[in-house]
Amino acid sequence: MEPMTTMIGPSVLDPSLCISDLKTKRKHSVLHELVAHAERAGGVRDVALLCDTLLLRERLLGTGIGKGVAVPHARSVAVIAPRLVVGRSQRGVEWESPDGVAVQVVLLVLSPAEASEDAHIARIARAMTLTRLHRNRSKLMLAEHANEVAELLAAGGPS
Amino acid sequence: MSVNPLLELQDVDLLRAEVADPRAAARLKKLGFALPELRALDRLRARLLATVDRRWLHHYERAQARYGRGVASVRARVCQGCFITLPTSAAPSGDELLTTCESCGRILYWR
Repeated sequence: MEPMTTMIGPSVLDPSLCISDLKTKRKHSVLHELVAHAERAGGVRDVALLCDTLLLRERLLGTGIGKGVAVPHARSVAVIAPRLVVGRSQRGVEWESPDGVAVQVVLLVLSPAEASEDAHIARIARAMTLTRLHRNRSKLMLAEHANEVAELLAAGGPS
Repeated sequence: MSVNPLLELQDVDLLRAEVADPRAAARLKKLGFALPELRALDRLRARLLATVDRRWLHHYERAQARYGRGVASVRARVCQGCFITLPTSAAPSGDELLTTCESCGRILYWR
């Protein structure tokens, strides 16, 4: 069984879960792109259900947190194992963030339904820690390879 | 492919649990998320309930009330709710994705 870790370790994030430049530029297409990526990595069993769940959360919660970052997240029966999918967009995605800034970094945090609320929220918090500082966001955007992004996140965020 | 309303209902209930739990809600707010009103989720839940097949609804509500989760996925023939290994005969036939767990009563999602 997949460990219900709250750490962002290799079981949660691997380089194949980083999209260097998102192909799509609308919120719902970006979510679909990220979910399809997670499915290919074996983290998702039902793409349609997960997309519906994420869009519902977007409608009700709004996951744009400002400064060009969005953290869509879901605890769902559609998720097989915890995953963090990172998507970067050079041109930016309109995400209805409170500061109106187009989103360039999307961190999709996925937890299976069996995960506790605490573990899920801890996973979100851990992913968000990385993006709090401007220099860290810049490092994320400037990383040339998916491996670098994965290393930044796995190390608990750049200094 | 259309989404099974029962699975959608389970996901809405998972979100509702996060919003209804004061500790979880406070942590999400602290992270910068604006939480929806419970009433909005309840309205959505009521709409979904009307579309769920009644033969499953009874099982779902009972397991949801008892365990906090009415649906459990199946991995390697193990119910992810009670972790019992399910007999081969418990697998659904044809296009069905759902059965019930004979041990815990949760609805099993076979996919």
